[in-house]
Formats: sequence, structure tokens, C-alpha cells
Amino acid sequence: MIPRERAPYSAIVDRPPLRLPGGARIAVWTIVNLEFWDISRPMARQVLPAPTGQVLLPDVPNWAWHEYGMRVGVWRFFELFVRLGIRPTVAINARVVTEYERVARAAHEAGWEFMGHGFEQMPIHQVADQKAMIEDSLAVLERFTGNRPLGWLGPGLTETEHTPDLLAAAGVKYIGDWVYDDEPTEIATACGPLVTLPYTVELNDIPMMLVQHHESAYFAQRCRDSFERLYREGESRAKIMAIAIHPYISGQPHRIKYLEAVYEHIDRHAGVLHWNGAEILDWYLASRRRG
Amino acid sequence: MLPTERLRYSPITERPKLVLPHGARLAVWVVVNVEEWDPAQPMPRTVLSPPAGGSPMPDIPNWAWHEYGNRVGFWRMLAVFDQLRIRAVLAINGSAIGRYGAIARAARERGWEFIGHGFTQQSMQKVADERADIRNTAAAIRAVAGRHPRGWLGPGLTETWETPDLLVEEGYEYVCDWVLDDQPVMLQTRTRPIVSIPYTQECNDVAMMLIQHHKAGEYYDRAIDQFEQLYSDAAESARIMALVVHPYIMGAPHRLKYFRNALLHIRERPDVLFWTGEEILDWYLSQQPRERLRP
Repeated sequence: MIPRERAPYSAIVDRPPLRLPGGARIAVWTIVNLEFWDISRPMARQVLPAPTGQVLLPDVPNWAWHEYGMRVGVWRFFELFVRLGIRPTVAINARVVTEYERVARAAHEAGWEFMGHGFEQMPIHQVADQKAMIEDSLAVLERFTGNRPLGWLGPGLTETEHTPDLLAAAGVKYIGDWVYDDEPTEIATACGPLVTLPYTVELNDIPMMLVQHHESAYFAQRCRDSFERLYREGESRAKIMAIAIHPYISGQPHRIKYLEAVYEHIDRHAGVLHWNGAEILDWYLASRRRG
Repeated sequence: MLPTERLRYSPITERPKLVLPHGARLAVWVVVNVEEWDPAQPMPRTVLSPPAGGSPMPDIPNWAWHEYGNRVGFWRMLAVFDQLRIRAVLAINGSAIGRYGAIARAARERGWEFIGHGFTQQSMQKVADERADIRNTAAAIRAVAGRHPRGWLGPGLTETWETPDLLVEEGYEYVCDWVLDDQPVMLQTRTRPIVSIPYTQECNDVAMMLIQHHKAGEYYDRAIDQFEQLYSDAAESARIMALVVHPYIMGAPHRLKYFRNALLHIRERPDVLFWTGEEILDWYLSQQPRERLRP
């Protein structure tokens, strides 16, 4: 199905405003991406290409750079979010549960929501049997946490034209791949409606730091700028603001203080909820039922 | 060997405490990379692409851009190290030792540590005989420094599946290609373990200036942010911080001051050591229980 068949165009100004409980203006949704990078393949991202741009196999320097996030960087995230009482959503490759059981356990024990994020970090277009991969990923996470994940984010937000149908068939209730609105929406699939939550490719450390190559400090400024605007708009209609981070990027020593600064800034405002994907989904579905 | 066969995953929060001498919290090491770029090959990095693209041969402008670093930039950096009384680590291509003899002599006179950096500046996966490359690099360093190098950094941190095994067999004791921790770790090889010392791709002028295209001042900002966070982390257990420079990048007139000012900032903190790689190595080994060191 092409996107237009799944969702007709809809202008945000033409929809009745959604309202958050308690007069809140904005729900902040933090997503921590936890990945497994297979050393036998080209690395998902590179901080340092080899001299003359040669393709490396194995790519030890860039594998190690990602591994740093799991050994060191992610613990800076845990310290921050536990201190603030925020329980993010983890978008987690299923293999993380076995390869980095310690990290997955810490996230589960801290009450973070687990969201499917593929079996390992590779484009979904290259997965031979997508249906089986989705099923395996959800089953692994369900065994680990005791709950079947409600949400799904494709690795790098990748989808094929069938992905939403396969996800809905597997029992997924919301996806993060459709970054086309400030509000949740519903899209059509072969197995009934599926909710999209406003994930982000803008307040996301991969595009900002690895693709656009901004200075570390710009992460805080862009998040503050977005928050200010959405907070103002949130006076008249509910706004969702996602922040997407990766331990090997924002968990670096020179970047972590800018992430901390974002949450310090947000904390100075009243009427802000820190919700995970499941909470946003519940609220959205209840709002729709009320019409 | 797979990386996961060389070391187990270990969260930094769950390890025995490492303690630096003299009440220090953090050891900082500064690595200066000196390379020889073969004018008959494509340049390892470029500052300027030719009009309408393509890869002209010879690539004189980009060769010259790098050569400037060894003719001018290095000596500008050296003055900073001399002024601040910091001994750096020289990661040097084996072939660069003969080509840039004055640089090698200046490093030797100051007691800098020499570490192997490939015989030539190319991916280790393109080297025909990796063992010979590693061995010849050691021989070239021995000839100028008077002793075998203890450390190794692959060109562009590149490795094959076998590199750590070959390094141990050729007499190296530590490797810098595994930037996966803020503390040294042990890597298994097919013979004895080798120590991995935290190098950096983040506080590294190649990644920051040539890949990410930051303004020169970002080197300073990032170095200070990195330093302050690691200094804070080190309240629990010692941490290592690396700063990496190349004479053709941070030795440029418009960038040097950001490097110097970063060192000045760090130098003001009393409980921070400026160490070489081998000082970090010897300290780390002294912190290990004896049974871990047995072959």
C-alpha cells in the first residue's frame, strides 16, 4: 500500500484539538535506542571512515565506537533519567536482550517501556523474511519483559510497503516510523488500524550529530527551540514532543551535559508530562473514543 | 577472532575501582599523528575536491596540504608542548621516520613515546603482508628511538581479524584501535592478552574537522566538555582521556590556539596527570590481580 492509501491528507488546523489531562500542554516522549551491530557486516554508522574511504570488514574502530555506548554511555542515561524520575521508551533490537542482558535488565527494572526495533540494526529492506523477523523480535522481548511490546520503530525508521500490515498482524498497536505530524494519527492496514506516534528525525542525535555534524551544544538549543514553540502551541491543543537518543552519541562525555540541559530546561515549565509510547497511545485511543 | 571473543561485555559501573597515584583522578594522554602520504597514491584525506569532482593523479594540492603539517604545523605544536612541559605520544608511520627525520629527532630529544602507526598511511586491510608491516614499523622506530615500541595505532584505527594477535607476537603490549571504554581493558589474543588503552575518535581532529566540518573552536569546546564529564565520572574510579591531533589539521594557524587553550584548561586542574601511553599501560598492569597477567 502506498502511504496515501493508508492515510488521507489531513491539515492539523482542520482537526478538533486534543487535550491532555490536568490542563497539561505538552507530553515529552523520550526514546532511547539500544542496538546490536554485527561485526561481520558494514557498521550501521561511522564516526571515522578509513583512509581514502576504503570499506572495512571487519570495521573494528566503528564497532568499538558503538560498543562504548553500551559499556559506558548508557549508564549516563540511566543516571539522568532515574534522577529525574523519567521512564523513557527503549527502542530495542531483540538481540540486545542476549548480547547486552545487563543493559536490558537495567531498563526493565527501571520500568522503561520496550518497543520493538528489529532483530538487529540493519535496514528492513535487507531482511530476507520480514514477517518472521518481526515475530521473532516481539517474541524475544515478550519473553524478557513478560509483556508483548505495543510499539515498533523500524531500524533507521525503515519500512517496506508491507511493513504496517505485518506489524498490525503481529499485534503491534503503534509505530514511530511516520514522522509526519505533531499528533498521533491512525493509518489503515490489511489487519485494521494502526496508530502512528510522532517520533522525530529532527530532535534525534543521529541526523543532528552524525549526518548534519552539528556542534555538541546545538542539540540543547534545537530541543529548547522546539520545546518553546510546541509549549506555546500547546496552550490551544495538545502537543507531543519526542526526543530520540543513542548511547554511543549522546552518551559521549562531551555531549551528555547538553542532554541534561534539555531536561533541566523542560523541568522549569509547568504543564509538562513525561510519557512513554504506551501512555500516549492509551490517551490517544481514549480521546478518540470520546470523540 | 571476533571482538566478542577477545573481551566480554562489561558495564563500567560494575568493575573494581582503579586508583591513580598521588590522588589523581584522571590521566590525559595526547597523541600526535605523523604520517607520510605517498604522492603516487590517492590521498588518505582531502581538503579540496577538484573542479567538477573526480580523483586526479597526482593530487598535488591535497598532498601539499598534508605536507604543510610536517614542514610547519608540527613545529608550531611542538612549541606548545615545550611551553606546557607536556610529553606527547608520537604515532608515526614507519616510512615517515626516514622522510621526516627532524620530527623523529625532536620527539626523541624530548622523551616522547613512539608508537607504531602502520608502515604507510593506508588501511591495514589493504596491506599485502600485515605481519611484515607491523614488524618493519617496529624496526624503523627502534632505529630512531633506541627501543621497541610498546603501543600500536592502526592507520585510521583499521584492523583485520588478526591484528591484535600479530601485534602481541611482534612484541607490542598495547593497542589503541578499540575505542570502547574510558578505562584500559584486556583483549584476548591467540597467545597472550594485549591491553587496549582508550584512544578517541570523538576528540580527534580528523573526525571533527575533516569529516564533521566543525568550526575550529569546536575542538576546544568538545575537549573541555569531555574533560569535565570524565573528571566528574572519575570521582568513583580512575578514567583515561585522550586528545588526538594531526599537524596538518590542528597545526594550521587558525586552529592551533584552540588546541593550546584546551591543554591550558586541563593543565590548571591539580589532580590530573599528563601521561604517555606506556605510563598508562604500566599503571594499569600494576592495578591488575596477578592471576590476570599470567599467560
